[in-house]
Amino acid sequence: MTTDALVQVDALGPAGAYRARYREPVTDVTGRTVAEVGLVPDPYVARAMAALRKGTTAPLEQRRAMLRTAAGLFGSATLLGLGPDDYQHLVSRVAGLGITAVRASTEKIVARCASAWEDAQAARPAGAVTGWRDPEARDGAALWSRRGDVFGVHAAGNHPSVHAAWIQALALGYRVAVRPSRKEPFTPARLVAALREAGFGADAVVLLPTDHAVSATMLRLADLSMVYGGDAVIQRYGADPTVLPQGPGRTKILLAADADWRDHADLVDLVADSAARSGGAGCTNVTGVLVEGGADEARAFATALADRLATLPVTHPEDDDAVLPVHPVAAARALETQLRSVAADAEPVGATADSIVAELGDGSAALRPAVHLLASAAAPQLGAELPFPCVWVAPWSRAGDGVAPLRGTLVLTALTNDDALIDALAEERTIRNVYVGARPTWWADPRVPHDDYLAGFLMESRGIVSTA
Amino acid sequence: MDLDLDTALRILDVGPDARVDPDELVRAAMRWHFGPETGTPFWLRRAATLGFDPVADVRTWADLRLFPNVTDELRDVAVADLIPLGFGPHPDVVSVIESGGTTGAPKRIPLLRPFADLFSHREAGVLTAAGLGPGTHWLAMLPAGPHGAFEQVKRAASAHSRGSLVFGIDLDPRWVKKLAGAGQGVDAYVDHLLDQAAFVLLQQPVSAMRITPPVLARLTERDDLLEAVQQKIRYLVWGGASMDPEARHYYRTELLPDAVLSCRYGTTMALGAGGAERPGLDDDAPCALDPSVSPYVTLSVVDAQTGEPVPYGERGRLVVHHVSKSFLLPNNAERDTATRLEPLPGHVGDAIADVAPLAEFGGVAVVEGVY
Repeated sequence: MTTDALVQVDALGPAGAYRARYREPVTDVTGRTVAEVGLVPDPYVARAMAALRKGTTAPLEQRRAMLRTAAGLFGSATLLGLGPDDYQHLVSRVAGLGITAVRASTEKIVARCASAWEDAQAARPAGAVTGWRDPEARDGAALWSRRGDVFGVHAAGNHPSVHAAWIQALALGYRVAVRPSRKEPFTPARLVAALREAGFGADAVVLLPTDHAVSATMLRLADLSMVYGGDAVIQRYGADPTVLPQGPGRTKILLAADADWRDHADLVDLVADSAARSGGAGCTNVTGVLVEGGADEARAFATALADRLATLPVTHPEDDDAVLPVHPVAAARALETQLRSVAADAEPVGATADSIVAELGDGSAALRPAVHLLASAAAPQLGAELPFPCVWVAPWSRAGDGVAPLRGTLVLTALTNDDALIDALAEERTIRNVYVGARPTWWADPRVPHDDYLAGFLMESRGIVSTA
Repeated sequence: MDLDLDTALRILDVGPDARVDPDELVRAAMRWHFGPETGTPFWLRRAATLGFDPVADVRTWADLRLFPNVTDELRDVAVADLIPLGFGPHPDVVSVIESGGTTGAPKRIPLLRPFADLFSHREAGVLTAAGLGPGTHWLAMLPAGPHGAFEQVKRAASAHSRGSLVFGIDLDPRWVKKLAGAGQGVDAYVDHLLDQAAFVLLQQPVSAMRITPPVLARLTERDDLLEAVQQKIRYLVWGGASMDPEARHYYRTELLPDAVLSCRYGTTMALGAGGAERPGLDDDAPCALDPSVSPYVTLSVVDAQTGEPVPYGERGRLVVHHVSKSFLLPNNAERDTATRLEPLPGHVGDAIADVAPLAEFGGVAVVEGVY
């Protein structure tokens, strides 16, 4: 940033930008205020949602063209006064996320925006057509249809890439309201600005910065919503069929005996990368690692993993080689306290056993990776997800533990060639993604669902026969 | 020197617009409510355990602080014992009004004619000062039933302009709080209220309304109702719950620019009276409320621990004194907090702003609901 003026994030509503009088400060990793976000009141949200309700959806080909334009704008234009470099620097400094991960996230959002329609087709049932004019509808087919018109997004601020997901709703013809994270509102603000500039109307996509109480109004007035949050959010919305909760991943890696990690050093790298990529704060960063072969084997692996993770540089987030998450010192200390409380009887392993907080001298601190050894795969810490590289390693036995400790997992990378074991894992519905082989847990592809396809939630099949 | 009864009555019975010295009022009220032949049975009984002599020791408005907060005792007292004997065997009881029951069993108090008329007259004055013309018709979405709000609004509208039509939609605060407290949404209930209000708004010639902020917020979700309010309503009174200043600004500048928004604070335990928004405030000023039935009902903002006034501009516990011929309830610590503001010249006590509920009251979590 070349100017001392604070970046201002305003609502983008049905009548354009709206400057709420209450400006909430947005701070960087040193605690310094670098931006302000204006929080809109309940009736503003009500009117914005009413505008979406009455809005019109542009025809498909126009939407696809606008999405391609928006993708280009998001990647390279100056939007809301910020060029791409300024934007990425700001996100890095505010979220404490390494700049390289932020740049990668920009590329991901650009790619997912440009091909949002095509990506969504992966979720379309084999018997469904996308419009009644499709020749296949003559003899009867399924018509792939929206389950509603207005989609609400209660976003998270832990990683800008979360905003790559909801673009599919626009591609599928939804009008979309996005409630940004108050900690990192820049990514959705930039994305909504790009979409608006590309031609999406003020009655097609809105940005509604609000507090939590008001965001409930947005969710209530949307037909369908996705909500990011912790266990409390999942509990609150879990039973609501109109809400798709995006909660903790409790992502895991299983190292079966035949993976032979001692002879494959790259497997330690794979686990370390799965833990630390993008600062380790995502739901697809590995949390629990199960090692077959007894307590000694688990200890040996935990030590090797801790050694590998200890090589990650302690540096400012805007440095090209930064990986570790950075927070204000007080926040970093609070996370360490939380870690100690969660860890309880688990045994800390490696160089960070004493402290994970590495102060950077400017009021900020990097969180160094934590590796703990658990006595058994049944220990509750195995699924304790914390927003930095934090891995719980436990011994695992096929006969004694089986699939039980692997239940409730967003992504499981299983290193094994044992078909019977893979069969059991593939059968376990509560493991949402099973990656067999050397695939990092954070790996994603539009063809591979993330806790099911979003489009599967957004769309349904109706019957169509069109002999006209 | 104790007042003789005639002097006390002269002070208590002056006209509704007469200037009354607050200290004289307090002395007259002590003589009335604690006099053996005129007194209020509840207070006559309670005097024995006060530890001071109210007639001799309570000489000024400031001395009202000597009283303990007896509000909780009004949950189970016989209502007849709250009617001063001085009104004789056939007192003109307008109604028995009850608190919302937000913080436990409801409190019950009698509303006697003198105060009902006084309050209506003062509120009518507020409406006249706001420029409301004769023939103003109202939509009032407020608690009726055992609560006093709706009936009081009706009396005030009539006192302001005889012939005013007041269309009521009953809002049952206890049911709302039951729903909200059980973690159930109140959405369906608010929809029910708005469905009823729609008939009035769309069909009747109303130009003023009374509503709570949560219900108003929900009303703005409906295009037809919002449009009707925009076209018809020129004076909108809100109260009963807090309004986010950001929402107030948005209503005033964007959604309802042609209506005057005006806040009221009323508490059942002062027989519905409290404060009215100071006219002519701009958006950047705090939403100041002046006591509208002063010096009979006065407001103080104090430190919850010490009972001492907080500095102007700071938030504290709201304490309300009601001192009239009809009723006496000094030192009622409300379930609300407020910012303390300097009063207008000639007022005793404080002006207030930003009334907001306490998180907890008497150990019971407060559920604000929609009222």
